[in-house]
Amino acid sequence: MLLGGGYVILPILTSELVEKKKWITSDELVEFYTISSSLPGIIAANTAIFTGRKLLGTKGAVAAILGMILPAFLAIILLASILNEITGYRSIQHIFWGVGVGVITLLFLAVKEMWAKAICDKFTAIVYIVSLLLALTHKIPLAIIIICAIVAGILNQLWLDRREIND
Amino acid sequence: MIKLCINLFLQFFNIGVFSFGGGYATLPFLYDLAEKFHWYTTKQLTDMLAVASITPGPVGVNVATYAGFTTSGVLGALIATTAVILPSFIIITIVSKILDKFKTNKMVQGAIHALKPAGCALLSAVGIKLLFTSNLHLIGLILAGVFIGSSFVKKQDPLFYLGVSALIGLVLGHFNLIGV
Repeated sequence: MLLGGGYVILPILTSELVEKKKWITSDELVEFYTISSSLPGIIAANTAIFTGRKLLGTKGAVAAILGMILPAFLAIILLASILNEITGYRSIQHIFWGVGVGVITLLFLAVKEMWAKAICDKFTAIVYIVSLLLALTHKIPLAIIIICAIVAGILNQLWLDRREIND
Repeated sequence: MIKLCINLFLQFFNIGVFSFGGGYATLPFLYDLAEKFHWYTTKQLTDMLAVASITPGPVGVNVATYAGFTTSGVLGALIATTAVILPSFIIITIVSKILDKFKTNKMVQGAIHALKPAGCALLSAVGIKLLFTSNLHLIGLILAGVFIGSSFVKKQDPLFYLGVSALIGLVLGHFNLIGV
């Protein structure tokens, strides 16, 4: 049971998996979490898959992911079925307006958090600005922007390596 | 129906492959889907996101479940949820076999170095678009500004922001100040 998404998960995982169940060490957890956050997909799900795999292989990974998403899956379907009916009420509409403000706040807080981890030098700043402009034009598929970033990152690394050798 | 299911699978698989930087990184793709396929509107997606944030479980997965459900019921929810997680499954299966090489490989590190700002930029773009397209009004913008400003002093739980803003919405709406 975790509310509020990926970033609150690490403390919960530490207390459950490391301290109570002793399935993995805290070093392993940090490692899984760090690698998970640099892989595509949802960090919490990735960490669960890593932990499950370590314990029981593929079977464990399937079990871990099912355990993580099944309660949410059922809750969402339940909520989704009643949502269209309740949004007819004016008060509910007002609440949703307010929650919309909350969601935009959370979105910008996520940006702030990602920013702190992502932008650390001239290269990353340029990647950020170019990707932002490309995304805002709305002409280029987002996947293409991501692929371009991967290529740029590798080229930058090659260039850095070459400069190191020349020095 | 089958065509819709296949498309649903492909779109959410695509999200699973290309979203870097955690649950919120799926949002740019989800807003993109709203405009491309009209499976749901951007307003519905924002409502969905609110529901997903107050439901246990990772937000990214929850929104996928929700989007799949609104498109084609329980089957759609199953397909979208599976599709968004499947890439993680495949990638981690590969990565955990070459974990040590993966961690130290310079090219991989170089790619990740660039992926982080790119993922952040895509989410920023969604934020900017939402500021202009959703019916926040000045009062909503000020409220969000206050929340974000205050987070520099002390960051609250996500539920705090959702709860307080829901309450403020209820009060403002009662006095007809938000035009909803």
